[in-house]
Amino acid sequence: MADETAVPAAPRQDTRRETMAFVMGVAGWIVPGLGHALLKMWGRAAACFLTVGMLVILGAGMRGNVFSSSGNDAFDSLGYLADLGTGAFYLVARSLETSGADVSHAGGDYGTRFLAAAGVLNLLAALHAYEAARGRKA
Amino acid sequence: MNAGMGFHLSHFQSLLLFALLISIAFGFLSRRRPIDRVKYIVWSLFLFLLIGVGIGWAMYPFSR
Repeated sequence: MADETAVPAAPRQDTRRETMAFVMGVAGWIVPGLGHALLKMWGRAAACFLTVGMLVILGAGMRGNVFSSSGNDAFDSLGYLADLGTGAFYLVARSLETSGADVSHAGGDYGTRFLAAAGVLNLLAALHAYEAARGRKA
Repeated sequence: MNAGMGFHLSHFQSLLLFALLISIAFGFLSRRRPIDRVKYIVWSLFLFLLIGVGIGWAMYPFSR
């Protein structure tokens, strides 16, 4: 009998841990570094926030293309998904790029890559925070 | 590079900044001890630059 009462406790704890890990991952996506900050990994939190922020500022400053949801083809949609990976910084990029994208020069094209890389990097960091919260990685 | 939200970077400056930022992020995410992070960042940055410049030279014959 004792075993029967003890069994449900572990799955409940696992479910709670899984939920918390998911929250950490989403928090890390919305605000770069927040997932790690909630896990008290301060160095990683600062590194994520600063590197993603710098990439977004540079990308927008170089007049890279900040894709919107009204894309014309699959590449625009993929670019939009990558840009969305920066979370709240997507809005920052849109607000910084007041004069629109200019990809007629190499600088603008590089800016587009900077923005996409920032998004993908932040998604990777959010996944890392999720895994760390699950206890798989540190 | 100009200030005022209009960055005009050369190809190499763009490569250098990109490589540096990505290397720092990878170093912090994948290593725990500070010395390991520094080693990883330096090594990753070196490889980024080496491969980037290498690919640039490899494409040179096709640029004309």
